[in-house]
Amino acid sequence: MNPDPMINYAASALAGPLLLVLAAFACLLLPLFFKALRGLQGLVSLGAVLVALVFLREAPPAQLALFSGALQLSPLSSYLWAFAMGVLALFFALSIAKPPAPEESEGEYYFLAFMAAIGLLVMMAAGDLFTAFIALELLSLPLYALAGIRRSKPGIEAAYKYFMLGAFGSGLTVMGIAILNALYPSLDFAALKAAGPAGQLALGGFLLVISGFAFKTALVPFHMWVPDAYEGAPTQVSAFMGAAVKAGGVVLLWRVFSLFDGGPVWEVFWWLTAVTAVFANLAALAQNGLKRLLAYSSIAHAGYLAVAFFGGTRGWEAVLYYLPVYAMATIGAFAVTLILEKDEKGPKIDDLAGLAKTRPWLAAAMAAFMFSLAGVPPLAGFFAKFYAFASAVSGGYTGLVVIAVIMSAVSAYYYLRVTVVMYMKPPAASPEAPAAAGPAEAVVVLMALGVLLSGLFSRPLLVLAAEASRWF
Amino acid sequence: MELLTNPLSLTILLPAAAGLAIFAIPRERAGALRYFTLAATLLVFLVSLRLWTGFDPAAAVMQFVLDKPWLPAYGVGYFLGIDGISLLMVLLTTFLMPVSVLASFRYIKENQRAYYACLLFLEAGMVGVFAALDLFVFYLFWEAMLIPMYFLIGIWGGPRRIYAAIKFFIYTMAGSVLMLAAILWVASAQHAATGAWTFSIPALYGGALTTQAQFWLFAAFALAFAVKVPLFPFHTWLPDAHVEAPTAGSVLLAGVLLKMGVYGYLRLAVPLFPQAAVTFAPWLAGLGVVGIIYGSLVAWSQHDMKKMVAYSSVAHLGTVMLGAMAFEPAAVSGAVLQMVNHGLSTGALFLLVGVLYERRHTRMIEDYGGLAKVMPGFAAVFMIVTLSSVGLPGLNGFVGEVLILFGSFRVYPWLAAGAVLGVILSAVYMLGMYQQVVFGPLRHTENKILQDLNPREWAYLLPLLVFIVLIGVWPNPFLRRVLPAVDNYIALSKQQPAPPPASIGLTLGGKEAR
Repeated sequence: MNPDPMINYAASALAGPLLLVLAAFACLLLPLFFKALRGLQGLVSLGAVLVALVFLREAPPAQLALFSGALQLSPLSSYLWAFAMGVLALFFALSIAKPPAPEESEGEYYFLAFMAAIGLLVMMAAGDLFTAFIALELLSLPLYALAGIRRSKPGIEAAYKYFMLGAFGSGLTVMGIAILNALYPSLDFAALKAAGPAGQLALGGFLLVISGFAFKTALVPFHMWVPDAYEGAPTQVSAFMGAAVKAGGVVLLWRVFSLFDGGPVWEVFWWLTAVTAVFANLAALAQNGLKRLLAYSSIAHAGYLAVAFFGGTRGWEAVLYYLPVYAMATIGAFAVTLILEKDEKGPKIDDLAGLAKTRPWLAAAMAAFMFSLAGVPPLAGFFAKFYAFASAVSGGYTGLVVIAVIMSAVSAYYYLRVTVVMYMKPPAASPEAPAAAGPAEAVVVLMALGVLLSGLFSRPLLVLAAEASRWF
Repeated sequence: MELLTNPLSLTILLPAAAGLAIFAIPRERAGALRYFTLAATLLVFLVSLRLWTGFDPAAAVMQFVLDKPWLPAYGVGYFLGIDGISLLMVLLTTFLMPVSVLASFRYIKENQRAYYACLLFLEAGMVGVFAALDLFVFYLFWEAMLIPMYFLIGIWGGPRRIYAAIKFFIYTMAGSVLMLAAILWVASAQHAATGAWTFSIPALYGGALTTQAQFWLFAAFALAFAVKVPLFPFHTWLPDAHVEAPTAGSVLLAGVLLKMGVYGYLRLAVPLFPQAAVTFAPWLAGLGVVGIIYGSLVAWSQHDMKKMVAYSSVAHLGTVMLGAMAFEPAAVSGAVLQMVNHGLSTGALFLLVGVLYERRHTRMIEDYGGLAKVMPGFAAVFMIVTLSSVGLPGLNGFVGEVLILFGSFRVYPWLAAGAVLGVILSAVYMLGMYQQVVFGPLRHTENKILQDLNPREWAYLLPLLVFIVLIGVWPNPFLRRVLPAVDNYIALSKQQPAPPPASIGLTLGGKEAR
């Protein structure tokens, strides 16, 4: 390809993230000088993300290394960026619907969110281990603050737990990277792959890096922060953590995973996956809070995503399809939670009693999200699981798939519980409707259409995912 | 466009479309909702009659085939087609639907729009299961059907409806997920052997699988279907679900959903894994016979009529399994016919119990007695249905049972003898119940004012009676269409699969060496 289109491509691809940086500072600083802008940061941010999404127009089918290989732009990164920005836009829509932050910290809220998003974008396109780590920190630090933005007790507890365990995870990663840096001439993913089989010490380094990334993805036993963080953080932030942060972690884990072909690292992954699927689903059975339930469900889905790792290229294709499908169901469920919540910790499952009578459409949408998460056809979640498990079986990992399918039958029980409460229990004594939240309802409708249609008509999304996965 | 011109595809899509369209009717307009659903299900039945008239009874191939690529990356197609077995099952479904809708007119008072939408979606799913020739599509319909049925039981059911609905859902799902893993395994084994992905059922017949792999795969499929049939000891969800479901739900559960289990053995489990099937068959047939005797004994001890009918289903489906596992033409075709018969007679029994329940709000046998005096029409219909259920010559149940017993006696003489015992038991408890409910003195004053069947009730019971008698005296049109498919099934169960390539093995652990 001749250089001019490449430069154009690089410019247009980077225009999106740059616009986000600009918008971040605009949200933080401009309202200080122009009073009229206060309270409008949400709309400005949403607008900026939508424009940035437009900038992500179809990339040429080529790989482009920027900043001496730190960023790798390709159709794969475009796909992931489009996904991340889409999630960001939904996150902003939910934040407009019910502002989570006190009025004086609105500017900080959107600034932090933008910074986290930039970290996520860099992480998804990172070409070497060190860039990935810096991006991970850029993603995590704002999120710790976002979790506690309300400065209330549950929020601070969430932020504190998230920070402590997150810092521990970062420490592990950095230790691992230090070891690897001493052993390998370059931390480039391609160079690491080319370096051949890892020695004993290098293996230790990789395992430390994997543990750190597993914290972000929330694989058991690195999941302890998830339920508390999801419960105490503002619901919008929990939705963002569930949908976007997990996606970033999955991308990184896959990068490390694909450096190997079998061997002890895969064995470790096998166990991480199996333990995650089993433990998360069993623990979810005992939850009473809706946000905690969704937290455990997100851990469980991290497990199903990791099953697809064992499926080679097809598995990666399945992961790329799984991420948006899971994000739609989980953002939708958090949006419903947001509409119904009366205090910070969100509603208990039993608070949904009689929702089918009081707000039938909301209940129907929630039921669709639950069945999709449970993987019942014809909803999109079933197709996602099908692709993930099919790839793993064809890779020869039937045992892992057997564990995963049995655990998804277990998961049906707790997802069903939500529908039971909504449809089969009488409404609670005081059926006063919470304040209308227009944008949140729009998000719910959009996500419900998504989980209903993107399964039965999964071909377009699957074609995109297949195209992107070829650029790994 | 082929999706809509193919009558088979239309039979699936039409109820699904009607299920969506019903939401255009305002929820308060109960009458419009009812008649819309009735009209839709009648229209679907008329469309499905086209399957009967256009079916070539002599041909041993799939008919009304439609094959549209759907997810080409995995070779999944919207692949439909029917043979004689599925023809009868599809028609049974479309026939029972308007009946169930009519039976719901008075019983369902709350949230009618959602109720009728569930029924319509359920119909699409049920027909889809019988019409699918692609494993993926089959599994899709098989699982998707759970959602409407779950809501039917859980929202409009009896006092213990929530427990029953969850139990129904979890049991079926737990049984089916291993089938999903097995389906994926079969397809990837085929992919490894031929290099192409396909989920087409006929293409997977005779696939190259080791005996050990067949064993596990058959076990996974058999478990899913055994839960659905339900085969003893996997039957425990059935009494709860049947008893708590609204009348229409019970009719469809007994009439159609249970048949899917047996159908699964006939279409998938046995033909896909014939060697394992031959090993398992005596055990499955044995469990069937255990189910006959156990179901009959438990039914005998029931005081609740609906429970009794529910347990009698366990017994009847046990007979059907005995026939299906005998791999003998008479037994298998008898089993297929008995599936239809059971759908008709047990469906009618649930409807009759529903008729009583709507009037008296009790299903206890002791609360009735002497109904012949106040409800002569009801007593007559009940008589015919009861006799059909116990297998009186001249009615439909006899034909099916005799074929099964004669056929399976050649293969499993002792098991067939056990099944005969079950037939005798069924006469004991069914006739016993009939006598206690209909004859004797009118002990309860409340029963003296009971109304006899009204025109609406006649309207849905008469068609059932017509077929109960018709199949009893003239079963040939039905059997003629089933026989080629049954011969296919038996031939498939006897085939020797191609020797498997060495590279495929069933692993439960790490990466397979290639």
